[in-house]
Amino acid sequence: MAPNPISERIESMAQAIAERVVNLVMDAIDIDALLDGIDVDRLIQRVDVDKIIDRVDVEQIINRVDVDKIINRVDVEQIIERVDVDRIVERVDVDRIVERVDVDRIVERVDVDRIIERVDVNSVVERVDVGRIVDQLDIDALVEQTELGSIIAKSTTGVASEVLDVVRAQGVGLDDFFARWTNRLLRRPMSELPLGPPTLVAPAGPTPGGRP
Amino acid sequence: MSYAPPVELTERRQGHYAGAVSRLVAFAADIGALWGLYTLGLAGLSFAVELVTGHALKFQGHQFVTLAVLVVWSFVYFAYQWSLSGRTIGMAVLGIKVVAADGTPVTTRESVIRTVALPFSFVLFGIGFLGILIGRERRAWHDHLAGTAVVYSWDARAARLRWLAKQDPGVPRRRSGRPATTATPE
Repeated sequence: MAPNPISERIESMAQAIAERVVNLVMDAIDIDALLDGIDVDRLIQRVDVDKIIDRVDVEQIINRVDVDKIINRVDVEQIIERVDVDRIVERVDVDRIVERVDVDRIVERVDVDRIIERVDVNSVVERVDVGRIVDQLDIDALVEQTELGSIIAKSTTGVASEVLDVVRAQGVGLDDFFARWTNRLLRRPMSELPLGPPTLVAPAGPTPGGRP
Repeated sequence: MSYAPPVELTERRQGHYAGAVSRLVAFAADIGALWGLYTLGLAGLSFAVELVTGHALKFQGHQFVTLAVLVVWSFVYFAYQWSLSGRTIGMAVLGIKVVAADGTPVTTRESVIRTVALPFSFVLFGIGFLGILIGRERRAWHDHLAGTAVVYSWDARAARLRWLAKQDPGVPRRRSGRPATTATPE
């Protein structure tokens, strides 16, 4: 069907009139005054956000997000540098955390047998400095204040051995006395004298008190 | 008896050169043992001879023989014991022993030389023994001749533990080995 020229002209005239009317209306409206007159808070209250959210297809949005691309653009080093760890730690209430930890429950979950099985006892023993431990022991106190003392006494003490101990100790004491005076007369420092034959005495030097 | 071997005198002396007093007392004890065993031996011999023959064995008039026996016996007494364990009876009592100059166990050869050289230390009023008192290694002439030395060898640690074991646990103790209180000796 051929187009009607009259109707087309009327339509274009109507269009022009409408545009003109709109322009006149727009010129006549004071936008600022109009915005001032709008109660935004009231308007927001009337918006049903939940309904809007319900209509949003979050899954579809997430699917469209390229997470790898986002992560690649994140400068992790820069973020870490900007983190004030000390400040974070200061804000942590360690005592409260510890209080909330159920140690008994943790201990119950530990398989001690399995741990022991994995421990190389020989390696541990090899690394133990037994000599140093013994040096730290007060053997005198141990013997004197425990049952070990009575065991030693029962097994080794005799009148003869006691007499020998006394005689020998007195002999050593007199040896020291004479040696001390001899060295004093000879103006000879005791610390310079050899303690004993080289294979019997460690070459660490004289004892703290000096040799007799 | 409650004598406590002080720590300073006992625990750090094994292997150290023995002093003059210990050696002198040990030698005196050896002379006593030597003479006692010699006398006992002669008495036993006399008794045995009389038991077998019916005649008493008299040593009067045989001084040379008895002296020779004494010399031989002395040699055996010292040389045998030194070569066997490095110590004589007297040395064992005093807790000292003979070792080679470097501290190794004394050999039979060194023991024999030491025994033979021992009398030389007695000449000129025992001047050979002066080295025990003033020598750096406390060695007498016979020690130098034989290449030997005398050291402490008794287990002083065990002696101290024996003493400690007998103490009252309630009594405080000083490091010197004596109780800190005024406990009186037994």
